[in-house]
Amino acid sequence: MAAFANILVGGAFHAAVLFLAAAGLQLVFGVQKILNLACGSFYALGAYFGVTFITAAAGAGLSPWLILPGLIVAGLLLGVIGPPIERMLRSVYERDESFQLLLTFALVLMFQDVFRFIWGANPRSLDSGYLIYGTINAREFSVPVYNLLVIAAAIGTAAGLGAFLQRTNFGRILRATAENRAMAEALGVDVRRVYSAVFTLGAVLGTTAGALVVPTAAASLDMAIDFVIEAFAVVVIGGLGSMRGALAGALIVGLIRAYAIALYPEVEVLAIYIVVIAVLLVRPTGLFGRPLA
Amino acid sequence: MTALLETRNVSKSFGPLRALEDVSLRFDAGELVAVVGPNGAGKTTLVNLLTGLLKPTSGEVLFMGRSIAGVGPVKLADRGLARSFQLIAVFPRLTVAETIAAAVVSRQKKRWRLLSRLAADTEVERRVAEVADIFGLRRRLDTVAAALSQGEKKLLDVASAFALDPQVILLDEPTSGVSTADKHGIMTTLIAAGKAAGVKGIVLVEHDMDLVAAYSQRIIALAEGRMLADLPPDKFFADPALIAAVVGKPRGR
Amino acid sequence: MRPPGAALVALAGTAALALVPALAPAYYATLMVPFFAYAIALLGFNLLFGKAGLLSFGHAMFLGLGAYGAAVMAGVLHVHSFEAVLCATMLAAAIVAVPIGFVCVRYTGIFFGMLTLAFGMLFYSFLFKFYYVTGGDSGMRVPRMSILGLDFARYNKIEFLAGPFYYYCLALLVAAGVLMWRIVHSPFGLHLRTVGDNARKAEYLGVHVRRCRLVAFVVSAAFGAAGGAILGFRIGLADPELVYWTQSGQLVFMAVLGGFAHFLGPIIGALAYIVLQDQLQSLTPYWRFVLGAILAVVVIGFPTGLAGLADDLRRRFRRSGA
Repeated sequence: MAAFANILVGGAFHAAVLFLAAAGLQLVFGVQKILNLACGSFYALGAYFGVTFITAAAGAGLSPWLILPGLIVAGLLLGVIGPPIERMLRSVYERDESFQLLLTFALVLMFQDVFRFIWGANPRSLDSGYLIYGTINAREFSVPVYNLLVIAAAIGTAAGLGAFLQRTNFGRILRATAENRAMAEALGVDVRRVYSAVFTLGAVLGTTAGALVVPTAAASLDMAIDFVIEAFAVVVIGGLGSMRGALAGALIVGLIRAYAIALYPEVEVLAIYIVVIAVLLVRPTGLFGRPLA
Repeated sequence: MTALLETRNVSKSFGPLRALEDVSLRFDAGELVAVVGPNGAGKTTLVNLLTGLLKPTSGEVLFMGRSIAGVGPVKLADRGLARSFQLIAVFPRLTVAETIAAAVVSRQKKRWRLLSRLAADTEVERRVAEVADIFGLRRRLDTVAAALSQGEKKLLDVASAFALDPQVILLDEPTSGVSTADKHGIMTTLIAAGKAAGVKGIVLVEHDMDLVAAYSQRIIALAEGRMLADLPPDKFFADPALIAAVVGKPRGR
Repeated sequence: MRPPGAALVALAGTAALALVPALAPAYYATLMVPFFAYAIALLGFNLLFGKAGLLSFGHAMFLGLGAYGAAVMAGVLHVHSFEAVLCATMLAAAIVAVPIGFVCVRYTGIFFGMLTLAFGMLFYSFLFKFYYVTGGDSGMRVPRMSILGLDFARYNKIEFLAGPFYYYCLALLVAAGVLMWRIVHSPFGLHLRTVGDNARKAEYLGVHVRRCRLVAFVVSAAFGAAGGAILGFRIGLADPELVYWTQSGQLVFMAVLGGFAHFLGPIIGALAYIVLQDQLQSLTPYWRFVLGAILAVVVIGFPTGLAGLADDLRRRFRRSGA
């Protein structure tokens, strides 16, 4: 029972972080039809910058209570990379999707050396300052409050994104552009601004997810390319372009991973991949994706 | 005598939308039959049923006595039914010769030869030249399809269908997008090509009633999913109500 | 590429490559052996990408099959003949490619890419799961084998790689090139190209779209394994990193850099990449960044790759000259 609860909570934390990053991926795919291979790089960027930001802030006297909001701010600040990268991707929008994938792959390569240049080849981590939020010790399992806060933040973001997409004007414009770009343009939507905003939002979700994870995991070079695989599993299982899919997929992948790590560690990636292939075969559009044309 | 191509009480629904309702028709050898009707009448659905793309919700679609419901374009091509498209479909990066050759390769059952040189295959080359000649594309054999004019692309589309040596060919608005001056030229080319290629029957889906009047032996009119008429041209054009239902105004100025 | 042009370039290229061991230091010759391996693998990859229009992000798995196959056969089963190893790994890859391909070719575009990526990573994780056989992280040793029945025992490793093995691989590349040329210019090759150009219309011309794709997938897998076996032999090690998705990305990089619309494009791309990587590595520790930037520039500005550029230049030269 205790083991199960631990798995559940561990899986939920990982799922929360996965959801945030996957939501970013889904947003960009849903609106711009680009599958961003550099999503892992955004994630790693958030992680690295999170470490630097908090370390510097702590040195400048930041209260350890503000680690969580601090990391969120770090993630948000990185939004500045959104518009210039989107501008670069703009040149291949009209082309074959292979070119789009390749361009994002070029970004992955470039980011790897940016990380090496700024932060070196060794992993970077924060000390356990996040434990200041305390831990909940219930019977035989314990979970840091920080993790619960992150889970809450993810749920909040999910709700917020949902409300944003369904109820606000900009959200409606977003969904219209995703549905039919030509028509949105004909109706006077400045598609370029929409794309820029969407990509930035997607990037921020990714960087913030990465920032939030650093108290519990180190920022490393491998992170960028390993994460792509998990994020990709999430969007396949959940369905390309769907927010609900990001949520469902993240939960499933997070739980599989936690379960595998706890019980059969060597099966971890294998299990995720078998599920991905099974989903792609049985229901290629995933749980919530739109049917193929 | 078995009809070349026929439908028996065919209906097709897409969910709540009833596209075709109880349509029975037959095409026999030696005929050029036109299928006419306003947009939304079900012509496209009928064409897709006749070319094995769709399965009827009820009823049968038979080609040479065998059901072709949902059989798919490849099998249909093998059995002898070919089709050209209303919207021009070409292989942008392949030449005219290669496009026609693709059909010839299928017809001569050479698809799975991985190691023989296609350029050295005189059988294929001869047939490609033959087909190109019939359609006046001889000079354009080495031109990439993307560089052809609209009219030439149309011709290529139809030529490649003819290269399959089909028993029946279904032409979906073969003169759409072609200038009026050229339309008759194209039609006579098509019919001559059909004869030369040994095609037994031509099904023509058309909007241009002048062409329909001039070239068809029978006219099948569809409206709102139902068959309105199945008549020879003289009887068809004698009925203004029929013409109005199909075209919206009487023929002539 | 017009036949006489391509043949000329191929002849000139082969002659130039044949002279490398004689004219350049041994270092360059040993550097070129991976080029031969990637070039052969890319010939197969481009059948799928350039001709059939299918972008696989998991192709590295077949190179992995080749390398690990070589390790198993030579290291575990003590098969000494490289020819036997080549044939066996190519056959194994083809066999594995049948069910995987069968499943993948039902899709195109992004879904095909995702499926192949997934299978590639599945293979990667297999290599770790069965670490007691595959050595997990450390990989498997690939011992030296005999080529054409000859041992070249008196050559040390460098001499062997820069000498007999170099020419052997050059010959393999030429053979692979001729074979692939025949395939592309066969009736099957024509059907495959129609699939890549307009699959829907191809069906109406009697082309078995899925079957063509499957055959291309299997053939490309065999070529990939051949390349992988050469790589394994050269490095002396079969390494799981060879199979990671970024390696598949690197293959695509090479194909696009060289120009995937041309027959010789991917070979040119492999050469350019290997040389670039080598030179950049000696110039800066941040060579990945430069390579990434080059890829970005190629994708944005020169999508037809180096071969396409050469074609453009030739056309312009002809226009102004004649």
